[in-house]
Amino acid sequence: MKLLESVEQPTPNGSIPSDALLATYNLVVRYGAAVALDGVSMYVGKGEMVALIGPNGAGKSTLLNTLSGINRPAAGKIICNGKLAHVPEGRQLFPELTVEDNLRLGAYRGGSRDPSPMYELFPQLHRLRHRRAGGLSGGEQQMVAIGRALMAHPDIVAVDELSQGLAPIVVSDIANHLVSLNKQNGTAVLLVEQNAQLALDITSRAYVLENGRISKEGRSADLARDPAVHKAYLGGQVSR
Amino acid sequence: MTERMRSVVVGTTVVIIGLITLAIPLVLSSSNLEIYVDIGLFTIVVSGLSLLMGFAGQVSLGQAAFYGIGAYTAAIMAVHKWPSLVALIAAPIVTAAIAFLIGIPLLRLKGHALAFGTLAVQLILLAIIPETPSFTGGSIGLSAIPPLRIGPLAISSGKDYAYLVWIVAVAVLIITRNLTRSRPGRGLRAMATTPSGASATGVQVESYKLRDFALSAAYAGIAGGIYVFFIGYISPDAFPVMLSIEFVIMVVVGGIGTISGAFVGAAVITIISQILTSLGTSPSLPPQLPTVLSLGVYAVILIAILRLIPSGIVGALSELWKKTQRTPSAVSSRSSEERQEVASAVDGAGRTDSVLTGELQSRDATMVKETSTGQQ
Amino acid sequence: MTAFVEYLMTGIARGLVFALLAMGFVFIYRVTRVVNFAQGAFAVFGGFITYSLLRAGVPQGVSELLAILAAALIGLIFGIITIAGDLPLLASLIITIGLSILSEAILMLIWGTTPITYSGLTGHDFVILGAFIQRQYLIVVLASLALFALVALAFGRTYFGKAMTACASNPYAAKLSGINVKRMGLVAFMLGGALGGAAGVLITPLSPMTYDADVSLAITGFAAAIVGGLTSPGLAVIGGLVFGLAEQFVAGYWSPSNETAVALALLIILLLWQARRMRLEGLE
Repeated sequence: MKLLESVEQPTPNGSIPSDALLATYNLVVRYGAAVALDGVSMYVGKGEMVALIGPNGAGKSTLLNTLSGINRPAAGKIICNGKLAHVPEGRQLFPELTVEDNLRLGAYRGGSRDPSPMYELFPQLHRLRHRRAGGLSGGEQQMVAIGRALMAHPDIVAVDELSQGLAPIVVSDIANHLVSLNKQNGTAVLLVEQNAQLALDITSRAYVLENGRISKEGRSADLARDPAVHKAYLGGQVSR
Repeated sequence: MTERMRSVVVGTTVVIIGLITLAIPLVLSSSNLEIYVDIGLFTIVVSGLSLLMGFAGQVSLGQAAFYGIGAYTAAIMAVHKWPSLVALIAAPIVTAAIAFLIGIPLLRLKGHALAFGTLAVQLILLAIIPETPSFTGGSIGLSAIPPLRIGPLAISSGKDYAYLVWIVAVAVLIITRNLTRSRPGRGLRAMATTPSGASATGVQVESYKLRDFALSAAYAGIAGGIYVFFIGYISPDAFPVMLSIEFVIMVVVGGIGTISGAFVGAAVITIISQILTSLGTSPSLPPQLPTVLSLGVYAVILIAILRLIPSGIVGALSELWKKTQRTPSAVSSRSSEERQEVASAVDGAGRTDSVLTGELQSRDATMVKETSTGQQ
Repeated sequence: MTAFVEYLMTGIARGLVFALLAMGFVFIYRVTRVVNFAQGAFAVFGGFITYSLLRAGVPQGVSELLAILAAALIGLIFGIITIAGDLPLLASLIITIGLSILSEAILMLIWGTTPITYSGLTGHDFVILGAFIQRQYLIVVLASLALFALVALAFGRTYFGKAMTACASNPYAAKLSGINVKRMGLVAFMLGGALGGAAGVLITPLSPMTYDADVSLAITGFAAAIVGGLTSPGLAVIGGLVFGLAEQFVAGYWSPSNETAVALALLIILLLWQARRMRLEGLE
């Protein structure tokens, strides 16, 4: 159990279940004088698929980086009752290493370094395994990035901007893989997306993050019908 | 405190310090006067280097070479019967031109290539001078350099030089201050802290860095020019690599990128070096002890300051001052500005606040990435 | 012809020593982004420690190995002083300048200012194409090639080596994978120390070592490393050879007093060339 605690504060939101896999309470993150996250409380339950949507610069990546321990919260609390793996925005592979080495390094914290389960999940990667990761297509790189994260044997995988720079067909293919992973292994998924349509389609619950605060939360299907959400994120001008 | 009150306070302080500065030469002995002139010369050099380190995020290990180039330019011209004032004015121009030429390629390279490139320039200079005796006087040097004349005014005594140096030093500090304040927008500061985001405005950043580098060389050049007229003699021994390192130490001790830090650093290190020299000349001690002592003391000062008070003496004092003045308005308006100044001063690598708060920030681009996303 | 072969062999041997120093720069830079100005000091320590151990009666091979280990330890200490906690890069760079002068002070305090040397492994000189070549040159070549192979193997074949490459390649992602990038930086400093120490151990029998040789060694090592843009170990080896050969041929066919100036001029030319390359890449 990981417990990061700066300032003890009462839980503002009684709706966070005590057995949540991952939860944040009033999380505040600052970059110098700028406040990136301003009291974010959210959770992901066991085996749940949750979406986090919001505009560019809302603090979505900051939240993930804080969950991964890259950023240190100024206040608030993170509770994680399991292992979290983070697929960062822009894939962030090790370009000069091979696909196989990239995958194997995902298990650096411990556990089996055998990448073959990932080749079962993403069969395409098997034939690419000795290629340099930097030379792959965007979709293949995203598979390696997800595979590398899964090599840590996580209970929850947080995927940042799955669809970024990928063709819709590739996105839906990879998204299907995530869904089946969730169904078969019970791995929880936190999907951070600007592509709200995709995110709300495949998740059961969702949060809307705006200006460092959760502005809306609820069932994904309900949020997809919410007029404000629809206008901002699903309307004519979906960002990118 | 309002902006007007603040400028009144600053103005009064400047006038008082100015009067003290002018009064000091009247009471100093001749050897102390020499130290006083040295501090002034080094303040000039160090304010340029501090600008380079603070705003361009680059360090030069050849500042003594620029000091030397300025000195040799002035000396050679004066010996060849040029008017001494022309020789003095040519010193910073020639120096800046040389810095400009080597800065164009070196500032484009990553990995602090400028540090090694400028060090190479200095070593080349030290290797060339002994080989060109007819021009530079070789290892023996040039002597009988005519005194400096500004119009009808002959600058000859130690006091004259003390005034001259400090007038130039104050002018240099004012130029530097205006330059750091009047940057078009906050562009450069932002740029200095986000190297990865520089591609869009890369050319502009490069030209700012180049300007800072050339200016820092010009400062060293004019200081070198004054030095050579003051001493009346020049040889390569006066510009060792160690002097370049001392300049860096002065910047760090005073506070990287702070204007008044240039003076504080120059004064503190010059005085320490005087104390070390007098300690080392006791006859009972082994001959290499002075060198061991000064190298050791410099190294410890340098490392300790960067480790313990990375914003230097001036930075630390202003932080202390801010703590005692912690009223809400002061925190929100004034401190954020100065904080940014110090932070961007020390940082060339994308971590703005780490210096001050010691927060866990990584050497990679996470923070940069986040902020740049925010600006899209 | 005889002279040519002699310069060639000497140049290759010295070049490989520079390459060892250059690789130290490269490994430290790749993981920490710090250009370690104190890189030359590792070599000076390596030479002096071997010298003292030999005088204390420790066998040659053992002395040399111990000196390399000591240099690795010094590398670790320097690394801690340079990168522990959270410092801006510029501060780390300046700290390594401080460590360089601190090393000079310590070396001078312990060993004084007299240059030292010791004979390498004894044995007959051998003759290639009529040129007498000291046995030490052959040892330098073999030892450095063995070290390069060892390093290549460690990085290319081991999980730990790949984790280190990962830190160099993408520190953010390395951190997300659970790799302690800071600790890897310290390992890089140790490796840099060992490689620098080895360079010193190998070169001291060929040219006497002085307490203040670190600056010139550092600048030559840096120059060799810049050939590979500070990030390519392979190109750093080539860079080392270029400098070793240039130095010997200039000293042999022209004048030994121009040796340094030519090396420095070569550095400037290399920097110009690299800058031009960066310019072209930037325009693409």
